Amino acid sequence: MTMYSRLTGVQYVLPAMSLLMLVLFSPVLYGFWFSLFRIQYGAPTDFAGLENYARLLDDPGLAATLERSALFTCAAVALTLVIALALAVWINRLGQRLGFVVQMIVILPWIISTVVATLLFRWVFVSDIGLAGSLIRMAGTPDVQLLNSPGSAMALLIGVSVWKRLGYAVIILLAGLKGIPEDYEEAAKIDGANRWQIFWLIVLPLLKTPLLLVTIVLTLSNLNTVETPLVLTGGGPGDATRILPIEVFDRAFVNFDLGSATALALVMFAGNILLVLAYVRLAKWKT
Amino acid sequence: MKRRQLLSSLAAFGCVLAGALLPQAPALAQAKTIRMWTFLSATGTSPREVALAQIIKNYEAANPGTKIVVETQVWDQMTPKFLAAHRAGNAPDISWVVTDFLGDAIGSGALADLNELFIKKWPAEQVKDHASAYWDLTTKVDKQYAMFASPNYISILYRADLLKAAGIDPASIKTWEDLRVAAEKLTVRNAAGQVTRYGFAQGFSEQQADPHMMIPYLLGEGEKLFRPDGKANFASPAGVAAMTFATDLIKKHNVSPPQSATWTVDDLFEQFSSDRVAMIQGPSVRVSSLQAKIGKENVGQMLWPGNGKVAHSPAVMAGWAVGVWSKGPQKEEAGKFVDYLLGAESEKIWVTVGGQSPLMASTAKAVASFVDQPGNGYIRVAAEGASKYGWLTPIEFNVGGYRQALNKATQRILVDGIAVKAALEEAETRFNRQNNR
Repeated sequence: MTMYSRLTGVQYVLPAMSLLMLVLFSPVLYGFWFSLFRIQYGAPTDFAGLENYARLLDDPGLAATLERSALFTCAAVALTLVIALALAVWINRLGQRLGFVVQMIVILPWIISTVVATLLFRWVFVSDIGLAGSLIRMAGTPDVQLLNSPGSAMALLIGVSVWKRLGYAVIILLAGLKGIPEDYEEAAKIDGANRWQIFWLIVLPLLKTPLLLVTIVLTLSNLNTVETPLVLTGGGPGDATRILPIEVFDRAFVNFDLGSATALALVMFAGNILLVLAYVRLAKWKT
Repeated sequence: MKRRQLLSSLAAFGCVLAGALLPQAPALAQAKTIRMWTFLSATGTSPREVALAQIIKNYEAANPGTKIVVETQVWDQMTPKFLAAHRAGNAPDISWVVTDFLGDAIGSGALADLNELFIKKWPAEQVKDHASAYWDLTTKVDKQYAMFASPNYISILYRADLLKAAGIDPASIKTWEDLRVAAEKLTVRNAAGQVTRYGFAQGFSEQQADPHMMIPYLLGEGEKLFRPDGKANFASPAGVAAMTFATDLIKKHNVSPPQSATWTVDDLFEQFSSDRVAMIQGPSVRVSSLQAKIGKENVGQMLWPGNGKVAHSPAVMAGWAVGVWSKGPQKEEAGKFVDYLLGAESEKIWVTVGGQSPLMASTAKAVASFVDQPGNGYIRVAAEGASKYGWLTPIEFNVGGYRQALNKATQRILVDGIAVKAALEEAETRFNRQNNR
């Protein structure tokens, strides 16, 4: 390839890349610059270097918040993947009409607004006048306050997150399953493979790319979700469901500490990039 | 042919251009749009929203060249968002500012001096008519940065019907112990021993947090919530006693719901409206909405009880001030609307339609007969409280996050079982660290 033809290629992608850089990276660069200053009344004042980042390290509660975020994300992603894979395999075996109906039902939570969906769950589980509380009382069991116990509040948060994102995962995995030629399965059957061996040795490896894609998207969306915990639990009770996005939100919009909020958001951004790179490397993804 | 075509195209374009521009000349002169951020919706149905819509309608009718556009915001995010918008240069012409961030709004230079815009044109009596703690809070070195639109007196809201049925006269609740006893009387259990109605409640979620009920208790003891340098003073002996009283209502006396550890303000109102709680901590500005839901005669407001040293403990007055954006391109017009929005004519609407308590002495006189009507007594209670038993958050330093810090301390006590003093010390540390103090 000559130098001229390489430059021609660059010329073609330059406008799109410039726009992308402007839209995607300029806020990050601005945010980084912003995080290097002391912020007063929302405006940068004195240059503070890495002071805002150092303040994050000084916060004794941040390590626990990070731990909770990791727990929430890992549990939500793992559960979503397992359930979505099972559902996708099941739907793939259904007839066309029934498969379509089930797909529509599964995808429904994904297309509902997160705030609306989470509010519905809150109304169901909020103590006393919630549907769940009434059912528990009708069953004659002792009053269980799901949102008031640290363990059950986190479990609920994970449950709502799984419910909300399941549809997306099912659709992507189902598309992956439909892309696997039927000949492979037939050949394996002729060779004497059972259903489990077909799934484990043929289907799953061929689903590597959609699985990786779903894992990355689910990880990022769970790690960065603020609406679900904010509406469902508000980070409580105590700090039980306080995860990193809530921490950023509170620093920025409750305490109006935009310096450390920006610093934390940028640390999260870097963490997101590292996670994606790690996934791609672990899965030895080849384009 | 081509030339003729070109000429006719140009002529047609010229006609279209002239046609488009000529009628627009007067339209452009008329199209003066004032953007206002508030948590109310001008198309909503709550009493204050109806009042706002009526005021805007009246103003637009009297000023045909002006259109007031209300951009409804989430109430607890609006002021920080306004400050961020000020910095970014795209703030609205007018914004409502919550007391917790009033100091920041003034200090940031986001608010214009209303003296310059319209107050300097007022006669002296009109300025005097506005005299109150709210007015003083928005005055700094001879400049008036905002005016209060929504004075909010946060004390006890009660279900008049339930108190009457229990034989409790609100006026008889004179001390904190009286409040506990009344809450006990109002708590109802079913045959299985499950509580079907609690006597008293407050929401302790960190989201949409109202000021904690320990504040009036603590202030009544003569203690301060903040030190002069802005650091938190939550864990003082008075603070510990106040928090102990609040949490004992739940833990020890079982007259307040343990579930309230995660209730938001809206959850609390739902419980109150559903007969699940007889008394709640609540703001005067929400009484009219609650009355619209459960009946005008069924919702009342009382002052916080005293402690033997003071007749009534001071309540937090966390209202909304209205200011004009200092960098706005239409400050004069925006000021003109604020002048009307908070003037005598509009305040009567705020009181009689919106159910708010009056700020001006002249309005208080003008609406006296309205206040005397059944169900409107809370307006007098809120006005009396604001003049005698009120406390406004300081504006010399940022106090954002103090409500959340105290609510989290309550959650730690109720859910995690930590000691009151330790929880309050933890809240102090958190608040101080968050505010770099």
